Amino acid sequence: MLGFLLVVLLIPYLIAAYALLLVKLKWGLRQFGAFIVATIGLLTATFFVEAYPIIERDGLAVFLEARWDPVRESYGVIQALTGTVLTSAVAIALAMPMALGVAVTINEILPARLKGIFGSLVDLTATMPTVIFGLWGLFVLGPFLHDVVNSVSRFLVGDDVMTSPYTLFTAGVLLAIMITPYAAAVIREGYALVPKPVEEAIYAMGATKFEAALIKLRYARNYIFGGFFLALGRAMGETVAVAMVVGGNFSRFTTNIFESGITISSLIALQFPNAAAYQYMVPALFAGALLLTLFGLAINAVAIYIIQRGQV
Amino acid sequence: MAKIEIKDLRVSFGALQVTTGVNLSIPDRSITALMGPSGSGKSTILRVLNRLIELYPEAKVSGEVYLDGENIFDMNVLELRRRVQMIFQIPNPIPNISIFENVALGLKLNHLVRSRRELFERVKSALEKAQLWDEVKDRLRAPAGKLSGGQQQRLCVARALAFEPEVLLADEPTANLDPENTAKVEALFLELKKEMTFVLVTHYPPQAARISDYAAFLYKGQIVEWGPTRDVFTKPSHELTEKYVTGRLY
Amino acid sequence: MTAKSHNRVRAVDAERRVINWLGLGLFAFLGVAAVVPLFFIIGDVYIKGIDAINSLGGLWVFLTELPPTPFDESGGIGPMLVGTLYMTALGALLGIAVGFPLGVYIGEMRREKFANVARAGVNVLVEFPTIVIGLFVYAVMSLAKEDLNRYLLGPLSSAISPLGEWVPWFIGPLDGFNAYAGAVALTLIMIPYVALITASAYASVEQPLREAAYATAGREFNALFVVLRKAVSRAVLTAALLGTAKIAGETAPLLFTAFGNFYYAPFTGPTGAVPLWVWYAAQTPYDVQIVSAYGAAAVLLTIILTIFIIARIRG
Repeated sequence: MLGFLLVVLLIPYLIAAYALLLVKLKWGLRQFGAFIVATIGLLTATFFVEAYPIIERDGLAVFLEARWDPVRESYGVIQALTGTVLTSAVAIALAMPMALGVAVTINEILPARLKGIFGSLVDLTATMPTVIFGLWGLFVLGPFLHDVVNSVSRFLVGDDVMTSPYTLFTAGVLLAIMITPYAAAVIREGYALVPKPVEEAIYAMGATKFEAALIKLRYARNYIFGGFFLALGRAMGETVAVAMVVGGNFSRFTTNIFESGITISSLIALQFPNAAAYQYMVPALFAGALLLTLFGLAINAVAIYIIQRGQV
Repeated sequence: MAKIEIKDLRVSFGALQVTTGVNLSIPDRSITALMGPSGSGKSTILRVLNRLIELYPEAKVSGEVYLDGENIFDMNVLELRRRVQMIFQIPNPIPNISIFENVALGLKLNHLVRSRRELFERVKSALEKAQLWDEVKDRLRAPAGKLSGGQQQRLCVARALAFEPEVLLADEPTANLDPENTAKVEALFLELKKEMTFVLVTHYPPQAARISDYAAFLYKGQIVEWGPTRDVFTKPSHELTEKYVTGRLY
Repeated sequence: MTAKSHNRVRAVDAERRVINWLGLGLFAFLGVAAVVPLFFIIGDVYIKGIDAINSLGGLWVFLTELPPTPFDESGGIGPMLVGTLYMTALGALLGIAVGFPLGVYIGEMRREKFANVARAGVNVLVEFPTIVIGLFVYAVMSLAKEDLNRYLLGPLSSAISPLGEWVPWFIGPLDGFNAYAGAVALTLIMIPYVALITASAYASVEQPLREAAYATAGREFNALFVVLRKAVSRAVLTAALLGTAKIAGETAPLLFTAFGNFYYAPFTGPTGAVPLWVWYAAQTPYDVQIVSAYGAAAVLLTIILTIFIIARIRG
């Protein structure tokens, strides 16, 4: 009944909001703001409700243990959380330098004619469907990394370190390619906002171009943080591309990035089709979704705090 | 020999010719004022003197400029910019780093000091010379963005003085300051000119009259008249100059 | 300065120049590294994709026929294409309809505390894991479905079905998985994106222009939506186009809402989409289906590239 009411009231609400725009503009606009805030609240609440059955049965164990045994109806998502953290860490470690590189290359190195094209290429990477990244990762990047990493490890330690082409590392590298444009867009914006008088002062003190770039990056520090958090959020939430290359290791806990693993979002994507057949799997997946949501909210809150505090 | 000799300097931005054949001698240990209406090319000339014009790829420069007899275009640009410092119209410290760091940055970048104590001494002495030390000595680590406009401009002066430069270029440095801070900065220049050469761009003739030793009047990219300030202001040989210094030309 | 310190500084300068070259070189390398994979990916998709389309019966067959079973030799993505077009169109329209006023709100009324709360909300949602959004719509859908069908859609569809045979394809009692749930999920993804770009378009209107708009327009509604229209319309149009491209390529939000379908079917039931087929077919062990995944990817990529290029040219 609740859901029904929600859906039925939504359309009149939006129509009313539109009408209000014409009559009392500010009140009308506020309704749209309320809509978005309510959506987030509703989303979090819904996940609590849906996850409740398994929290009621197992308490917080579902968040703290690593297992996925549908037959015994025993679930824990900590291995997925670890996977999310590890793949995101690899992705961010590779993506941030590239994003900085993009910002400096566009603003300092490229001639005027190439700036636009290069920028568009970066933006195009951001618009590419994630499933296509996944497809490429599955058939091209995975096998490639498998060969390269194992050659290197055979040389260094005499053994193959990647057992399969589909590991947390593969997912991390693929994610890095996908999230770089997001960080790059934010950093570029901040870099370009360095005022001309400040740029003149930097060169007037006898800085080389590279030194000037570093000082400008320091000036745009806030934007670098912003880009970092945006890219991090993206990495943590990415589903299909990761699901296609991460290896699908649902039950074993691992911290070795060269092993197959799983992340929360790919766990949900890959297990949901089975879930209707079991009693507690759906709530377990919703518990994972809840965890991801809360994590995401927390990271956003931290980001807002850092960026606000850094403002002079 | 003059500190700076400018010979037949022509600068154009694309199709626009900003200066046409400028010739000028800047004497040492004095203040030379470049004055003239907006768009006459004063700021452009100033930016040639420390080759900051090279930040603008659309600008084409021809002619010769000599610092102590050396052609500045053949010099190592990093060294030129250490010897010839600039202060800008809008105070431009880097706001999110500390007051201390703003002054120290140039010294550290150019490896001009060899110890932390030497760095501190030079920063302190620069801030003292700029008459800012007493006001900031207790908050050297505070962000520079928190200072008032007048203080920020004096910080920029300190930043320039830290280099112990031979020449100080000032591009309308008091245009954005209130009369009290303007007076402070002008007094500062009068004190400092005993040790270095000043080239001061100003669009306010009374300022030139107050503090400069030599004055050059620019109109539409050309030097109309140039000489000791007293002569230029009291016995101008050109009609345009007379109009400008008496406030009838802008 | 003594001659000795002079020489020291000269040596340091030379060192700084070397570091300058190396440092800028490193930045350039990293920047290029960010962009190079794109070429590999586009190349891979088109090379294998065009091959795939040819081997599966040619372009027309591929765009209209049903997908190949593991034992077929030809097939296509007809139902998926229709599903993508329908859901993307709905999602984009609703996304702009709600996202634009929202963007005006958070862009123009920044002094209000609630507007900042809403802005924070938009920032949270804009790169929210899309699978979570899909899961949310699924949850609401399952809660609402029965009552919705009983009290609203059942009677409604009986009332208008005399209008024609096409009616049940669009309106009727909804299954748990249907195109409209998919479209709603896509809408929720598009709204924050459009809102943020609209907000920054309005924010970058310079003060004098804004003051002039308010002064001449009389009502605030006119000022914001009529006078300033020209100034912001380019950015908003770009946002609309890019947002559409974005949701056309989304897979995760459709997994539990539209679910996917191998056949042409009413939009009130499970509906296919091109990205869903790529996701599904790429992970099967059957060659013919993997090949068709590449074909589908090529079609999808073409749609996205077209929208992207149009947005770049118009913008």
